Amino acid sequence: MKRLPIVYDDRSDKRYWRSLTEKSGDPNYKASLAAEFPDGTSEMTAEEGEVSRRNFLTVMGASMALAGMTACRRPEEKILPYARPPEEMIPGKPLYFATATTLYGTAIGLLVESHEGRPTKIEGNPRHPESLGGTTTHLQALVLDMYDPDRSTAPLEKGQKRTRDDVTKTLRDLSTRLKGDGGKSLAVITTAHRSPTLDTALRELRAQLPSARVVRYEPLDRTSSQEGTKLAFGRALEPVHALDQAMVIATFDCDAFANEGSPLKNARGWVANRDPERGRPLNRMYSVESIHSVTGANADHRLRLRSADVAQLVLALAQKVGVEGVAAAAPLAPNAQKFLDALAKDLLANKSKSALLVGQTQPAAVHAVVALINHALGNVGSTVKYVRAFDDVTPAGPKALVELANAINSKQVDTVVILGGNPAFDAPADAGFAKAIAGATTSIHLSTHIDETSSACTWHIPRTHFLEAWDDARTEDGTYSVVQPLIAPLYDGWSDAEVIRALVGQPNKPYELVRASFSQAFGGDERAWKQALHNGFVADSAFAAEAVTGNATAVAAAAKTLPVAGAGFEVTIRPDPHAFDGRFANNGWMQELPDAMTKITWGSTAWLSAATAKELNVVEGDHVTVAVEAGSVTLPVVIAPGQADKSVAIFLGQGRRLGRVATGVGVDTYPLFKSTGLFVAAGNVNKANVNVAVPVTASIEKNVLSRTQEHFNMEGRPIVREITAAQYTADPQAVKKMTPPGPPLEALWYPHPSDQGHKWGMTIDLNACIGCNACMVACQAENNVPVVGVLGVRKSREMHWLRIDRYFEGPVDDPRSVTMPLMCQQCENAPCESVCPVGATSHSPEGLNDMAYNRCIGTRYCANNCPYKVRRFNFFNYSKNFITTQQMQLNPNVSVRSRGVMEKCTWCVQRINEARISAKKTEADGRVRDGSIVTACQQSCPTRAITFGDYNDRESMVSKKVALPRSYALLAEFNFGPRLQYLGKVRNPNPELEPAAPVAAGAHGGSAAPHNPGSAAPAGSPATHGEHK
Amino acid sequence: MSAAPPENRAAVIPRDVDNTLQTIERPPLVLGKQSFHAVTEAVSDVVERKTPKGWLLLTAIAGFMLMILGGSLTDLVGVGIGEWGLNHPVGWAWDITGFVFWIGIGHAGTLISAILFLFRQKWRTSINRAAEAMTLFAVAAALIYPGFHVGRIWFAYWMLPIPNQMQMWPNFKSPLLWDVFAVSTYGTVSLLFWFLGLVPDLATLRDRSTTKLRKIIYGTLALGWRGSHRHWLTYEKAYLILAGLSTPLVLSVHTIVSFDFAVSILPGWHTTIFPPYFVAGAVFSGFAMVVTLMILVRKAYGLEHLITMRHLENMNKIILATGSLVGYAYGMEFFMAWYSGNIYERFAFINRAFGPYSWAYWTMMTCNVFSPQFFWFRKIRTSIPAMFILSIAVNIGMWFERFVIIATSLHRDFLPSSWGYFRPQLVDFTTFIGTFGLFLTLFLLFIRFLPGIAISEVKGVMPQANPHPEDAHEKEAEAAHG
Repeated sequence: MKRLPIVYDDRSDKRYWRSLTEKSGDPNYKASLAAEFPDGTSEMTAEEGEVSRRNFLTVMGASMALAGMTACRRPEEKILPYARPPEEMIPGKPLYFATATTLYGTAIGLLVESHEGRPTKIEGNPRHPESLGGTTTHLQALVLDMYDPDRSTAPLEKGQKRTRDDVTKTLRDLSTRLKGDGGKSLAVITTAHRSPTLDTALRELRAQLPSARVVRYEPLDRTSSQEGTKLAFGRALEPVHALDQAMVIATFDCDAFANEGSPLKNARGWVANRDPERGRPLNRMYSVESIHSVTGANADHRLRLRSADVAQLVLALAQKVGVEGVAAAAPLAPNAQKFLDALAKDLLANKSKSALLVGQTQPAAVHAVVALINHALGNVGSTVKYVRAFDDVTPAGPKALVELANAINSKQVDTVVILGGNPAFDAPADAGFAKAIAGATTSIHLSTHIDETSSACTWHIPRTHFLEAWDDARTEDGTYSVVQPLIAPLYDGWSDAEVIRALVGQPNKPYELVRASFSQAFGGDERAWKQALHNGFVADSAFAAEAVTGNATAVAAAAKTLPVAGAGFEVTIRPDPHAFDGRFANNGWMQELPDAMTKITWGSTAWLSAATAKELNVVEGDHVTVAVEAGSVTLPVVIAPGQADKSVAIFLGQGRRLGRVATGVGVDTYPLFKSTGLFVAAGNVNKANVNVAVPVTASIEKNVLSRTQEHFNMEGRPIVREITAAQYTADPQAVKKMTPPGPPLEALWYPHPSDQGHKWGMTIDLNACIGCNACMVACQAENNVPVVGVLGVRKSREMHWLRIDRYFEGPVDDPRSVTMPLMCQQCENAPCESVCPVGATSHSPEGLNDMAYNRCIGTRYCANNCPYKVRRFNFFNYSKNFITTQQMQLNPNVSVRSRGVMEKCTWCVQRINEARISAKKTEADGRVRDGSIVTACQQSCPTRAITFGDYNDRESMVSKKVALPRSYALLAEFNFGPRLQYLGKVRNPNPELEPAAPVAAGAHGGSAAPHNPGSAAPAGSPATHGEHK
Repeated sequence: MSAAPPENRAAVIPRDVDNTLQTIERPPLVLGKQSFHAVTEAVSDVVERKTPKGWLLLTAIAGFMLMILGGSLTDLVGVGIGEWGLNHPVGWAWDITGFVFWIGIGHAGTLISAILFLFRQKWRTSINRAAEAMTLFAVAAALIYPGFHVGRIWFAYWMLPIPNQMQMWPNFKSPLLWDVFAVSTYGTVSLLFWFLGLVPDLATLRDRSTTKLRKIIYGTLALGWRGSHRHWLTYEKAYLILAGLSTPLVLSVHTIVSFDFAVSILPGWHTTIFPPYFVAGAVFSGFAMVVTLMILVRKAYGLEHLITMRHLENMNKIILATGSLVGYAYGMEFFMAWYSGNIYERFAFINRAFGPYSWAYWTMMTCNVFSPQFFWFRKIRTSIPAMFILSIAVNIGMWFERFVIIATSLHRDFLPSSWGYFRPQLVDFTTFIGTFGLFLTLFLLFIRFLPGIAISEVKGVMPQANPHPEDAHEKEAEAAHG
């Protein structure tokens, strides 16, 4: 059918004519016009009388049919080339930029991968002293936050949308008004920031508005340790640990490898002296804690002790190592005493080579005592140095917030500017902050989300994510780091400093502010700035170490006020393993990331020891009511092996009323959080009658335990192999000997030739792995691994390509535990490959088990036949409803898998291919050099437990590691020939606390059968794999 | 019997005496003094009589169940097979359980039609037609599962070796591919065999047709059968050839189905005993299903004189024999698990009997091993209510056997960290009910529109069909030797 002419209405008053005949209005001409379009074309116009029913139906039928045809086409997408390409950008090749972010009270340097201007993945900056290349789970997950579809997109005033100009005007008006009274009615709340730029801006604010109040607040900050140093040394100082110098490390209620202090640096420092092949003695770590933490799980000796009892143990230790004036007020339990004696002896034997770390959940006095112990042991200057606190002027912490809330309530303050943070949600309960802020005349909340605080404020301004705006940050030791943005703000947000500058009437771009702040610190040299931008930080810009003298009298006086805990329940409040302090509650990766110890995902729980649970007559999944002075919450019980008796751990940060991920997940426990006795409170725990106390609604239903691992017993199988240092010295082959003996096995199919080209291999050093989960999130970010939601996890359908298995050993109440990262082992005799009916998974020439998603029809046979159970099936279309911003996060080099397709770890084949392509161009022989391929998990590992490389290259790191006597293949007795080899764990127990085990028998692996030298279990170098006859 | 004394056996064996001949008089296979015409009438009447109300009711129920299948499959294709309760350690559960269950049920048909035919077991004639039909419908029901359990059903045809421009070829190492060939061959041969046997009877129906429509349909299906001597000669040869072709299939199909498990590496699956064990189990369940259905059919249509107690008793004997074989296999699996000294293997079997799925294991043991033992007693073997209950128990047990093998092996394998548990979801149930809907609908249509008993074959085993009765033969032999 020909197209009908489009006739536009002629709106002009002039009437133009095309020909004289037309002008004359000749009827013949009119007829000829109609004839211009042949019969049938005007069928629908009904000009020539009626539309025939038959023809109408014909045309409509054809139209419908043709309309259906359009569904056969893929949606049209336009590809536009750059008119003016950005510098250094080659489409398809990612760029990396150094930046940094502030977390855990320090700043951590990062490298961010950017694809055509989209940051897709965060990695650690290997040169940055706080990252050393590693990342934590939280850092990996930050990129997802930027693309959160729930982010606020526009400023709001009392719920009404406003423009950026409205914000500018409001801030300008506000600054005029405030100048009238010197800012007396103004209060500014910042996060526990470490930004010199914001600091400068706030100084300017203080100069202009001298009476304005500024408060730093984050629920989990370093107030406690700063107050402790104030007690011990007379001024607020920041302890900076160098655990690589320490041979004896003791942690007190401190999860130093997960979220306290500088976790990445701590972990790297600890692992520095854990290499049993280096020919130097191993360090030894002692942990005292109520909750079984990642750090405690890696300790050689762990004492479970209620958090409230830690103070007395620390005092007793201080007394033993010779700190004057302090003494324990109560005797210790016999096992604690024994532990203490051994610890004290070890510490005294390693003077100036030991380090003691205290968690921020412990009171200031305990920090002070430990500071004095460090001082007495001569550790100051070697394993710990004290530098000036970043900001010791601004009132900080929960108490300051309570004071501010009181000031708002008493109308001394009527204008509150909140820069980030979410105090209406995470303020201590006694501040009543949400109520207070609602009473303020003007309250402005700068936030990435319209959260609890935004809803209570009169104004909401979208805040930039750290990947969107210029900023800078000082690490805990003061190293200057540049926060470099990778993308223009998605929603026209404001940075903290920008708002403050607008408030003092001097609006500036964030870049100018940061540049000025850099010049102020390091001079205006452009080259230095470029260098700082490139490196992400300024070398040697740390604060000078402060000389300290202990004030034993003040500490002794403070120590006397430390209460001796009663026999009742204590309730400890911790950062949530998923939501941290609440900021990651709307982050799907974090919510679905199993907790390192209990493997619980999604939601909040209360942790009890098995004995306590028995006493309360509850089992896992039952609800308990946890009550402290401030209030009570009802939570499902998790029996956490290693939890101290009579101590219940609950977690801050869930139960938020925000976003599509966080809503309805978990329970808000902040009502139990008070500015006095912040993290440890005497309380009561009772079995809750769920039917009465808690209505079974969707949100409670979500609290039913959803965990990724349910069985934590190795069942006597030699899975994670662990020996002591003494055993290793006596018999280096001890790890290998744990392989059960068996007859020599032969492969069913011909071996894949692997002596030519590359032969990719990987080792994971279980001795270095701390089980921190960073690799899991790194893998998720790199490989577009979907989130399946709480119901998915409960049906065991989580999609993580890489998981961390946790096993406990010993008594259920006080076990030791080990971890094992498990991803595709890339078997030589891969059971998955032979069973796929369509050959969707096959062996690559370099020995990887390639997965062709496009070929997969989804029989799941490969997953059934995988002995390691690392294959993951897309039961639904998990990325179906991704909006554009979510799609922007996806790694373009990795397919997004559709429904009905099997997927699994590829050893980051996209990174391998990239390295291979560039090696072809740069290397003379075209071979990939060792170390040029770094898998995502390997990159993120804070302890460098993962090594990847070429087994055919005898000089490669991975070949050297795999040649170590403690390397072993998991399930070696079955001849799968995994390319991934584990290195056994070597512990270094104190003989006083753990009598040496007989050397011949392994700590694990119930089959104590003697090693059969004739066994064909792949024992030697994996170079022999694939050569089975 | 003229057995020669052993000391001079070389000399005195008479060449013309065949001592394998059965000389005991057999009880008749068709009861009552029946004429050929009466048999034709009895069987054809089922097809020709007015549609019984009971049939309509049953078909409505079966049709409803079939619609449930349609709904379930739509859901599975539209939303994803996550609608089933499958998860990460347990990638197969009710789907492959259902598949093996139905394939197993199909086994009785081929066994009766092919192997019993070659062994000249004449009692098979009354039940072979229905059993063969049951085979086909069971295969149809079975194919629902592997067809729809794949993640991307729209690409399921990639399992077939279809030449294509990408030169992509299926993986011939995969037992699933062997399955495709085994089951499709089995289905095809069974269909041909069944249809071939139907031809003379369809001609009978054609000749008896009173309406034009029936005449056309039955006439077309009868392929111009006129019952000439030549037709019969060809027919008998073709039947014998197809029986010969089907015989290895009886063993091969379930052997290959068992390879899905035996070829894998999973403790509890990786067992060389599986092929004979699966075949025995299949025959076991197939006969149980035939018994269940035949009891109902002979009652409903008054065919007790054709499908006699002797038929049922014979089938019960086979159930007893195969049930004991299966029980032996269960025991042998445990023995091997212990004897191998393999800790994973040992654990798999201890976990089966005493782990989270022990309820399923003991259901299986009760139904499959203990319940058929009642058939040692003739009274139970010949009691309709008893055998009806036991045959259903056997089918429940055989479903559980497959579930136990599949789910308990998968849910706890090598690494305890990935252990899990399978919980069926609503769609698991509806799909399973739906396959019964498909099976029953097809079976009900079959007994309504096709001769449920092989008329011509039954006539062949009636006394008047034998021009040389057995005693006459005996007498002849005696006469020859004086």
